Amino acid sequence: MFITDIRKEFYEVVANQRVALLVASDIDALCACKILQALFHCDQVQYTLVPVTGWQDLSTAFLEHKEQFKYFVLINCGANVDLLEMLQPDDDSVFFICDTHRPVDVVNVYNDTQIKLLIKQDDDLGVPSYDDIFRDEEEEGDDSGNESDEGSEPSGKRRRFDEGAIERRIDRQRAKREWEARRREILFEYEQYEYHGTAASMMFFELAWVLTKDTKDMLWWAVIGLTDQWVHDKITRMKYITDIATMQRHVSRHNHRNEDEENSLSIDCMRISFEYDLRLSLYQHWSLYESICNSCYTSCNFKLWTLNGQKKLQEFLADMGLPLKQVRQKFNSMDMSIKENLRDVIAESSMKYGMKDIRIQTFGVHFGFKNRFLASDMVHATTALLESTEKDESDGDNFIKALDSLSRSNLECLHAGIDQAKKKLMAIQQTVASCICTNLILSQGPFLYCYLMEGTPDVKLFSKPMALALLSKYLLKAFVHSTRNKRCKLLPLIMAAPKDVEKGTVIVVGIPPESETSDKKNFFGRAFEKAAESTSSRTLHDHFDTSIIELKTEDRSKFLDALITLLS
Amino acid sequence: MFCEKSIELIRELHRMSDGQLPAFNEDGLRQVLQEMEALYEQNQTDVNAAKAEGRADLIPSIKLRHCCLLRNQRCITAYLYDRLLRIRALRWEYGSVLPPNVRFHMCAEEVQWFGNYKKSLASFMRSLGGGEGLDITQDMKPPKSLYIEVRCLKDHGEFEIDDGTVILLKKNSQHFLPRWKCEQLIRQGVLEHVMS
Repeated sequence: MFITDIRKEFYEVVANQRVALLVASDIDALCACKILQALFHCDQVQYTLVPVTGWQDLSTAFLEHKEQFKYFVLINCGANVDLLEMLQPDDDSVFFICDTHRPVDVVNVYNDTQIKLLIKQDDDLGVPSYDDIFRDEEEEGDDSGNESDEGSEPSGKRRRFDEGAIERRIDRQRAKREWEARRREILFEYEQYEYHGTAASMMFFELAWVLTKDTKDMLWWAVIGLTDQWVHDKITRMKYITDIATMQRHVSRHNHRNEDEENSLSIDCMRISFEYDLRLSLYQHWSLYESICNSCYTSCNFKLWTLNGQKKLQEFLADMGLPLKQVRQKFNSMDMSIKENLRDVIAESSMKYGMKDIRIQTFGVHFGFKNRFLASDMVHATTALLESTEKDESDGDNFIKALDSLSRSNLECLHAGIDQAKKKLMAIQQTVASCICTNLILSQGPFLYCYLMEGTPDVKLFSKPMALALLSKYLLKAFVHSTRNKRCKLLPLIMAAPKDVEKGTVIVVGIPPESETSDKKNFFGRAFEKAAESTSSRTLHDHFDTSIIELKTEDRSKFLDALITLLS
Repeated sequence: MFCEKSIELIRELHRMSDGQLPAFNEDGLRQVLQEMEALYEQNQTDVNAAKAEGRADLIPSIKLRHCCLLRNQRCITAYLYDRLLRIRALRWEYGSVLPPNVRFHMCAEEVQWFGNYKKSLASFMRSLGGGEGLDITQDMKPPKSLYIEVRCLKDHGEFEIDDGTVILLKKNSQHFLPRWKCEQLIRQGVLEHVMS
């Protein structure tokens, strides 16, 4: 059931209890977890935090902890599947689920006792009504009761009654079949597309606000969670803008201090500011040139994998009057005169080159003289740490490192993350360039398909789901900009990359087609399930996003064929 | 040169400056004591000779040997005293049961001294708090909060806290627990205090 008053029905219930936090591995979940941890520290609620990477992890963690805990809080996992059936908990376990995955499973919505959803009821849900899906069993009992009564009637009247009874029974059965067919249809429509709702970190920030225990750190984490949804293309632009407006209200509330000459805040205090900043990834921690070359938006619009594109870039820089020497050095060392109006100059020039949206609303943080970060910088850095592919680092270690990097006191961690993010972005750009130039993207009819061979440079980076999803998104954008085939521009993309060479598995990701007004709804989850069933391929649907699966390399071709037949 | 051995003893302790206890250097101590004996004998004969024969030219060497004797005495007492201070610090660090490798480094008298110190400390602690006793070896720095956040560095299995609840300590899980229960495990290296 949906929770209406998050303070009374969630926080006050768990405030005197011990809670287990099961947190999924994405940045929004990490930010939400940090906010909740800070609240628990304030009120000394004892908790245990366990990172989970997939459904199997979730089940294992639940089994290990179910003896000791009654209350479980699941962050960014568990809403889109029948949780009670999967975990088989005892009757007194209570689950609080704050998950952005939609559609929420109908059993979770209509269970009144054990499942509490920390989701706003109007958050773009469209849940079918109760009567459409669940049917009370009493009606069946009445019918059979009537039949047995009728059977004990004297035989003289029996024939007349029997005919009436048979007709009624036929009617009832027909009504039941119709109802069941409609139910299947409604459920199919409801569960067909997978998409994302409001960020979990924003939900928990609202909880903090209602408790008036919100701090600037929590606000910053909520902003990072929201930006993660934008960077990884989980929400539409409209939703992002709306949510930014919500956050802006909080930011201005926190910034509302009478700062003047005498009462100014120390430079070390944290300041969050609204920025209408450039869509160049990590540009303040890199050189402007590198950032333009390695950001999806600029790279696709200029088509930087072609010679023509490179020339256009040089023209663009010359048009703005930025000397190459300045542009190639570290951003912090650029001349002040250039940095001052940089955003406006770039925005103006990019209009001439067809890039109308080079600026996006976002937030930046600023504490101390040297430390200035944009929300998207933090997202890239933390994602790189979370999915780092260095040896001897398990998923748990990466989770802990990424969680640490979100605290302001762990700046070396964050800077290490920024370096890794730069490498990742460069790897993505190079892979995109090579895929486009060697025509690795094939049109299979109802979708586009691309497979990264084992020897591709940096292919290890793409064995992780979020990195592969980011690569697919950039690749699809680049493909749409470079192809002339109008039909191909509207197709979705499936990407596969080797995941584990010893076990012989690949990771497969499906993303919806690229368009300005796309609603980011992904139907590949169900499609993958059906294709796997029909070909009995050995697949693992372990990830919380149903559009990301693992597959045995040998089963790749038959799985693809099944998908083609399914979707055409 | 005289007093070299005693300086070596001091240097040995100085090398391990962070409070560790090196093995008890019985050999070194014996050598210093032998040197002192030899010096004393020589001085004794020289003093007798000087008194009997009135030889004033022996006086500087007598003085020199006397200074060396005093210096050796100071060095030895400094060595022994510094070791005792370190052993005393061990009680506060490790508790009343010392790990066997540390014990191995102590000589018999030091072990006895440690036992006596433990008894004194225990009776003092019992007398505090109006006869109820107070464990002053806990909470050496004033604690900022009742509960601290800890991270598990290795799999430790199940762990019971005061109200009977059991916590599963698995690698990379984080917990928010009462600080007095965690201190022991933090010292053992199973848990790590997370500050944010």
